[in-house]
Amino acid sequence: MSALRCEDVRWAGLWFGVTAALGVWDLLFLNRPAFKRVSIGFVNTFAIAFMTAVCTLVLGWAAAVGLHGLESKGRRVRYILITFAINLARSVPQIVGILFGYIAVASFRESGAWGAGVLMFPLLALCVAVFVFPEMTDLIRERIAHFSASDFYNAMRVCGVRERRIVNLHILWRNSRIHIFNKLISVFGMAVFLLCSVDFIISVGLSSDVNEVSLPVTLGGLLATIDSKQDILAIGYTVTHPQYFPRLFFQHLQGVTVAFLIVFTLLCVHRVSTGFARRHRL
Amino acid sequence: MKSKIFEHILSIVFVSALLITALFAVTDTSRRDGNGGGKYQSQQGLGDIGFVEINSPFHRALLQDVADIFYPGSHDRNVSLVRAALLMQERALSDRLQTAYVKERLTPAKMAALAGMYVKFLVVYIVVMFLTYYGVQTLAVWQFVRERRRAGAEDSLGRIIARLAGRLASFAASMVLFSPAYVIAYSMRTDLNTDSTFFMALLGVISNGLLMVYATKFHAFLTAESRKGYVETALVKNLDSSYDAGRGGISAADILRPFKRFDGHVFDHIYRNARFQYISTIKEQAAFLITGLIIIEMALNIHGHLCYEMLRQMLYKNWDVVIAILLAIFYTVKLTELVADAWAHRAALRYENSTARP
Repeated sequence: MSALRCEDVRWAGLWFGVTAALGVWDLLFLNRPAFKRVSIGFVNTFAIAFMTAVCTLVLGWAAAVGLHGLESKGRRVRYILITFAINLARSVPQIVGILFGYIAVASFRESGAWGAGVLMFPLLALCVAVFVFPEMTDLIRERIAHFSASDFYNAMRVCGVRERRIVNLHILWRNSRIHIFNKLISVFGMAVFLLCSVDFIISVGLSSDVNEVSLPVTLGGLLATIDSKQDILAIGYTVTHPQYFPRLFFQHLQGVTVAFLIVFTLLCVHRVSTGFARRHRL
Repeated sequence: MKSKIFEHILSIVFVSALLITALFAVTDTSRRDGNGGGKYQSQQGLGDIGFVEINSPFHRALLQDVADIFYPGSHDRNVSLVRAALLMQERALSDRLQTAYVKERLTPAKMAALAGMYVKFLVVYIVVMFLTYYGVQTLAVWQFVRERRRAGAEDSLGRIIARLAGRLASFAASMVLFSPAYVIAYSMRTDLNTDSTFFMALLGVISNGLLMVYATKFHAFLTAESRKGYVETALVKNLDSSYDAGRGGISAADILRPFKRFDGHVFDHIYRNARFQYISTIKEQAAFLITGLIIIEMALNIHGHLCYEMLRQMLYKNWDVVIAILLAIFYTVKLTELVADAWAHRAALRYENSTARP
């Protein structure tokens, strides 16, 4: 009960509960082929978003610790080059970079290269992570800078503890993992948003180059199908014709389900992240 | 500040050099490909026979005789070789005719058209940027003041019902604010003209979660500032600290004002310090905003707009036009970063009471 008082736990529980209820409803009232498509799109979206969070953590941690190492050893040229590259990735609008990354991955898949099928999900996750990891790098560098000015850092250095151990174990793992975890929650939400948006754009505008054979289906791609578009049109129709509202839950289930899953997930992830930050006073 | 300006200029030069080199490479490749179906004939081992006229019986007979001379003793094979080569030449001509309307080059006329689209994009971007800057701060301030009012309020049945109704309305509003632009736009397509620039700007403000995410960040800055020592000192020294709407408090007009001031109230200092910290977040907000505008233009297929034009040119593989549009978007991002850094630097100088030149 005390856990339920926490806003982040409440919203996480709400998301699981509502998604499960929606799953049961769709099982009862959505036709089998559509249910299968929605299920696959749901699983693919969350799998890739989870992998994106992992890739972002790895890239951000490596970049931040690497930059700290270069800075402390006085290797200015390498430091400037890596900082320049990260700032360049930051300056590229994420959607543009991910779009070109998707086209490259689709070409790789169509080339029939060995392992292309197995590597699809990690490659797509990497495409997104490359344009999201600078935020993680900034957070980790800020934490390192904050604790580098503290007494325990200098004391440990004097005692002969290796800097790599101080930074990775004491600063980042023991004193900053909550901050990093909170950042990963918002990265997960950002990944869901970007994946669905890119897949929607590709399905609408580039379907002759990149199609569902070359890329896994996500919720965004499902939303771009003609059936889902008609279902979403029905939502707007309901605003001006409220008596049509009950039909949304029976006749227009595919599009309404996909749109609801995307929007509700983004809202819940944001609330979980905010609640988590508030609970730990971040 | 000088080092930041130098870094921005360096990245502009680097990316411009990279993309312009790619532009020239793409233009050169497409010029060579456009010279005819040479690649088709060369695959057949006949070399470049683009000069052969398919419809001329004399040319066809001459080509056959030449093939028989070069490959003697294999007349049947030469006949099928020439036939295949001529068929490929026909196919190449047919392809060129079919794709003539989609193949575009970066001509001065095309660049002028792109410039017009870019100006439209910039206007929408600037309008949406100002609206979201105002919207983020207003939402965050309203949320902060509401929390302070609620903390002091006594619970009654009326208040509980009002709070529940407020939460439901807030949930519905949050669902709209977090909706991706294409969900809102497609749901409104029957009732509104979703291709208009006004609707695009409206979507840019209310969709993609932009307002909510950055309002939460600004609210976090306000909350962090409210816990600092100088605020508690001001409260002890009896500075106004009532968040009620009445006299000495904070009214709705104060919250909605574009240039917010809360004279004589402790919140004025909290707000100013939070706003100072927020200036550096504007770069991140601008990048997210541009991402949102690109999504809106691409997903809604808004004709005559820059990002939809980029998607269309990507589909038709006119890479020179794509590169030109990419450069334009990159310059927009860089200009925003420069302006945000300059603004942050000026604000820092003011608060440090420094008159030193940057």
